[in-house]
Amino acid sequence: MSVFIASCAQISIQKPLNDEWFYIPVHYDEPFVRAIDPDYKPFINPIAGRRMGLIMKRAIATSMTALADASLVQPDAIVTATGLGCIENTEKFLKTLCYEGESCLQPTYFINSTHNTIGSSIALHKKCHGYNNTHVHKGISFESALLDAMLQFELGKIENALVGAYDEMTQDYYHLLDKINMWDGTFASETAVATVLKKNGDIELVDLDILYKPEKQLLIDRTNLLCNKIGISTEDIDLLVTGKNNNKENNVVYEAFEKSIGLENKSETYKNIFGESFTSSAYGFYYAFECLRKGRSPQGKDVNNILIYNHYKNIDHSLILLSRC
Amino acid sequence: MAAVYVTGTGIVTGLGYGKRVTMEALRKHQSAVCEIKYLDTIHHELPVSEVPFSNDEMMHILGINDNIPMTRTALMGRLALKEAMEEAGLDPQKQKTALVSGTTVGGMDKSEKYYHDFLSNDIKNMYISTHDCGTCTEMIAGQYNGFYMMTTLSTACSSAANAILIGKELIETGRVDVAIAGGSECITKFHLNGFNTLMILDKNNCRPFDKSRTGLNLGEGAAYLVLESEESVKRRNVKPLCLLSGVANHCDAFHQTASSPDGEGPYLAMTDALKDAMLSPGDIDYINAHGTGTIHNDLSEGIAIMRVFGEKIPPTASIKAFIGHTTSAAGSIEGVISILSLIENYLPVNLNFKEKIDELSFTPWHDDTMTHRPLRHVMSNSFGFGGNDTSCIFSKLKEEQ
Repeated sequence: MSVFIASCAQISIQKPLNDEWFYIPVHYDEPFVRAIDPDYKPFINPIAGRRMGLIMKRAIATSMTALADASLVQPDAIVTATGLGCIENTEKFLKTLCYEGESCLQPTYFINSTHNTIGSSIALHKKCHGYNNTHVHKGISFESALLDAMLQFELGKIENALVGAYDEMTQDYYHLLDKINMWDGTFASETAVATVLKKNGDIELVDLDILYKPEKQLLIDRTNLLCNKIGISTEDIDLLVTGKNNNKENNVVYEAFEKSIGLENKSETYKNIFGESFTSSAYGFYYAFECLRKGRSPQGKDVNNILIYNHYKNIDHSLILLSRC
Repeated sequence: MAAVYVTGTGIVTGLGYGKRVTMEALRKHQSAVCEIKYLDTIHHELPVSEVPFSNDEMMHILGINDNIPMTRTALMGRLALKEAMEEAGLDPQKQKTALVSGTTVGGMDKSEKYYHDFLSNDIKNMYISTHDCGTCTEMIAGQYNGFYMMTTLSTACSSAANAILIGKELIETGRVDVAIAGGSECITKFHLNGFNTLMILDKNNCRPFDKSRTGLNLGEGAAYLVLESEESVKRRNVKPLCLLSGVANHCDAFHQTASSPDGEGPYLAMTDALKDAMLSPGDIDYINAHGTGTIHNDLSEGIAIMRVFGEKIPPTASIKAFIGHTTSAAGSIEGVISILSLIENYLPVNLNFKEKIDELSFTPWHDDTMTHRPLRHVMSNSFGFGGNDTSCIFSKLKEEQ
């Protein structure tokens, strides 16, 4: 059984819903940049839109775009990833609770605060009664959602899936996470990436692994196993996409891995273009997809096989192998 | 399809810590729903089912050093995980083991307490990083080493059921040998007030599947199931408790918080769980219903049950009048209780039932003179906000059926 990536769509700090970033990326010097929102009118009726937070609008716009690009009307499965969920509404409800007490709360922010509001809104929008799940595990939320979709494919339960990663960031929450050094050596942004997976196509999602506090050797072994699945060796990997930023502690883990599989000179990064959030690794996946679609990387490497490696605080690690047939 | 076994379970709810106390209370019809004691709230008019320990008491039971930042959800999770691991006799370092956990509130108990501090000073910064759901799972895992992978699900009140689904599929696809799946959730002011603004909390004890029902009572707790492949069961030479024979997930896609009048999501979840288990509706001997006690849920679920089971509706009961609605943990808490029911051939009753719902063809299982009968397959339903509906089926081992 093979799974292919039919489409990807993004809303980010780059121009939304297109690939202009690939050629002329916008550079930022600020510590926190919010995403550039497109006009949502083509995707959401303005009355419904008024009740929706930005994260939900972005989820719907990227999902609709990815589905249209994949010529798919209704997905068999909707699998969503988010680190913090609808943090803007969560914060609004929390602030009212903390500063005005328990007697003057309104339901709207609460209803739209749960993590699965995103995935279920997409289902509601598409009247989609199929499989629907939401993964919320920090830096591997997106990879968990991808793995979930892979499980459904492998068990023959679905023919296609819509997988998305979404995180929004507020000024206050940026500040809170800054206090615990989340943004050291990087800059905060927001995530909205949707991808459609199918059982046929040109760009294969070969497989992926999620690992908890892995030993160095396990990462090497798993990389070799991923390569074996399509009969290649690590030497055949044309590009390694990593979550490197300007944080020494973060980068040293990537550097050790690159060295261990001999890919020091083949790595490129995406966080410098898209910024950092719990689900920013979805941009790494999107980066790799665009490279394979175009046959080359932004830095000019010819690519057929791409390995994506991410870790979150050296605790949760993920490996994804993509290949162009 | 490869069989998935359950080789250990752990549970903590308002009824207490452990499987034995849980079943004893169910048999004695002791409800844990009463006035709020541990949560600092003004809403004492709303009865709840709280785990009968303070955080300090749980730290003491677990032997945790006072200086580690721990949330209530993580503490309850640790208690349940400990019981499950001990029963399964499991060392995660010796087999490829995943931990899959469900929660929605995560560390909200601390965030709502210290939010002002977060924004204005640095004295409670250690709780900023315990807010998110993934951290909660890693805190629960903290007492053990060697997990191969870990992830967290959040689909509101079906989170733990979806964790069970992922655990099962990780084993079926051969990705891991063992998956510990479940969930944990403490009551917070955040969701107590949230549910209250939705006007779905009952000021009296809840009455699932009763004509007079007006809402739910919140509960808290945690439970984990050790799921294991046949090969691993043989290799470790352990006797499984039962089979996790079927799980399915569907979306109601009707409304963000309310259930559809035709129960489409629940209907699809139950139907597909039967298909996954290769069973027909007539094989189900008992349904542990979601049965929250709200007007919409019980009607929608009841109609879905009628659509699936037709004229022959198996004994169906909600145990939420015992333990409240334990939200994200409900799927595994009620999953563990379903397993205990199956093993002990005991059918917990639906407390507080008096009068049938007009639109439904059946009354819930409430006759306490008939609570023992041989059980082969038990279905457990968990439905969440957003229409995230999941149904699990537990079966006796083939040789015991």
